Amino acid sequence: MRVLCCLDGTNVEPISRATTLLSPEALTLGLIYVIDKGPHHEIEHARERHFRPPVPAPAREHEMVEVEQGSAQEIIEEGLRHLSGAETLQREGRPEREIVNAAAEWQADLIIICPRAEYRDKHKIGPKSVGHVARFVLDHAPCPVFLVRPMNRDQFPIKR
Amino acid sequence: MFQFISVPELTKTLIASFVGVLTLIGIMTRPFRWNEAIIAMGGAGLLLLLGLISPADAFSTLCRDWNTFLFFLGMMGLSALAEAAGLFDWLAVQAARFARQRAWLLFLNVFLLGTLISMILSNDATALILTPVVYVLVTKLRLPVLPFLFACTFIADTASFLLPVSNPINIIILSRFPLDLLTFLRLLLLPSLIVIAINVGVFFLLYRRELQGQFKPERLPPVNETIKHRAYFRYTYLVLVGVAIAYVLASAARFPLSLVAVGGAFLLLIGALGWKQTTLWETGKRISWSIFGFIAGMSIVVRSIEDTGLTTKFGHWLLDLSGGGTFGAVIVGTAGAAIGTNLINNIPMAVVMTSALGSMQHAPVAVQHGFIAATMFGCALGPNLTTVGSLATVLWLLILRRQGIDVSGLDYFKVGVIVTPIMLLAGALTIWLLL
Repeated sequence: MRVLCCLDGTNVEPISRATTLLSPEALTLGLIYVIDKGPHHEIEHARERHFRPPVPAPAREHEMVEVEQGSAQEIIEEGLRHLSGAETLQREGRPEREIVNAAAEWQADLIIICPRAEYRDKHKIGPKSVGHVARFVLDHAPCPVFLVRPMNRDQFPIKR
Repeated sequence: MFQFISVPELTKTLIASFVGVLTLIGIMTRPFRWNEAIIAMGGAGLLLLLGLISPADAFSTLCRDWNTFLFFLGMMGLSALAEAAGLFDWLAVQAARFARQRAWLLFLNVFLLGTLISMILSNDATALILTPVVYVLVTKLRLPVLPFLFACTFIADTASFLLPVSNPINIIILSRFPLDLLTFLRLLLLPSLIVIAINVGVFFLLYRRELQGQFKPERLPPVNETIKHRAYFRYTYLVLVGVAIAYVLASAARFPLSLVAVGGAFLLLIGALGWKQTTLWETGKRISWSIFGFIAGMSIVVRSIEDTGLTTKFGHWLLDLSGGGTFGAVIVGTAGAAIGTNLINNIPMAVVMTSALGSMQHAPVAVQHGFIAATMFGCALGPNLTTVGSLATVLWLLILRRQGIDVSGLDYFKVGVIVTPIMLLAGALTIWLLL
């Protein structure tokens, strides 16, 4: 079984815990991290609005790319520390599209993804808890998707 | 051409207006991704070729705008040379250090830093230089990037009428309609602080989920790494403090602010060359020279429309629409400038509005001041409404989405639509109360 794990820089632990639920027999893990190029486009728009060429000065552009690559590398390495032996896939572009395309190319049988990058210690249940990346993957994935939600038993019962 | 052939005045007016409108549509839509400067210069060239404006009039128009041209040069030079010293990187790292590992505190510090930079080095410096610096920082810290980017791009405009130098738009307008510093501050300081507070408050509300985390201090780059040359860095710091003080004194004494900006940039350039931190060629590459062509082209196009009396009619129409009162002046001025900036971008709108304001000399001083302050306010904040650039871009994105193509740009648009009308309304009402 080929399982593609989607890393976002905040979810390596829940993802690795989720993989323990799967049968280890003939399990091939893949780790994917996508460098989101959306912020780059935002910076280009801001520059064009101020009548400047879209791309920042070469040194600054180089620094931005270097930091993105460095951060991606670090996140993948972190993933490998939890899931040693996994194959790694690093992409850049729009995360949701890159994930589903990579899943198709890599012939994934299952995608493991968290609802959204979580920067808080305390998770809350409720509407809009599934971010746009996970939602797109749920809608467009070429295979089953395992959505790993955090434990929230302490927030129950919810209002009936 | 029409100087040699006898053509009725009405025909000349129609042709000049047609060329003017064509130029503005060109700037809005940018066919074949042409640079705005080429479009504006093309419009100006066509008007000169057709004899709808004489070379002497075109030249006098450009000479009249010397303060604007020089200010742009000085402003871009100051920012570029301060960036070469590593000042923006240093300030961003300091903002992170003072945040004590808390994402929300760093977010607040980015707003404060953006406000400070916009106030002294203009909104261009915040939007164009601070934004990528903050992007690099928050990527290193593994914090959510978009809220911080939006904080930079929004605060660049929201804090751009704290001082006359905070936005080149202010200089374009004040070059024609000078306001003394006290009047400027009386009318715009409090509205500015109010809209900054609204901006910060709404953003904290919108991004409360993303801002609850912490960052690891070991991810923070060492402060010393950001300083490229210690002596030049100190020198830059001192020169900028001097420039900030000189800006205030020059505004109070009605001394041309462009000369302060150019003087400051010149001092920084001397230091940078002396300490071999840049070369003339390198500094020249950091200046956007096409912007001068753009402003020159726009000024000539608007001047030829002005000669036909159309902008005067536009000014009278705005005055009629306002009902001749201060409340109407502020609301009409703000709404007109804000809508216009989203249609044709803020520099062309400021040039058009400046021309139209020229026809209001007979209105009471309070009404004139209301229009002037509202124009600066609307032109500064208006672009935040459609953060992706202009209304034309948004319409294009909407068409794409209708065709089933998912466009992330619309997410940016949503933020602008939520926060900008609130800020425009609150700021306009405050200006009116202060008139």
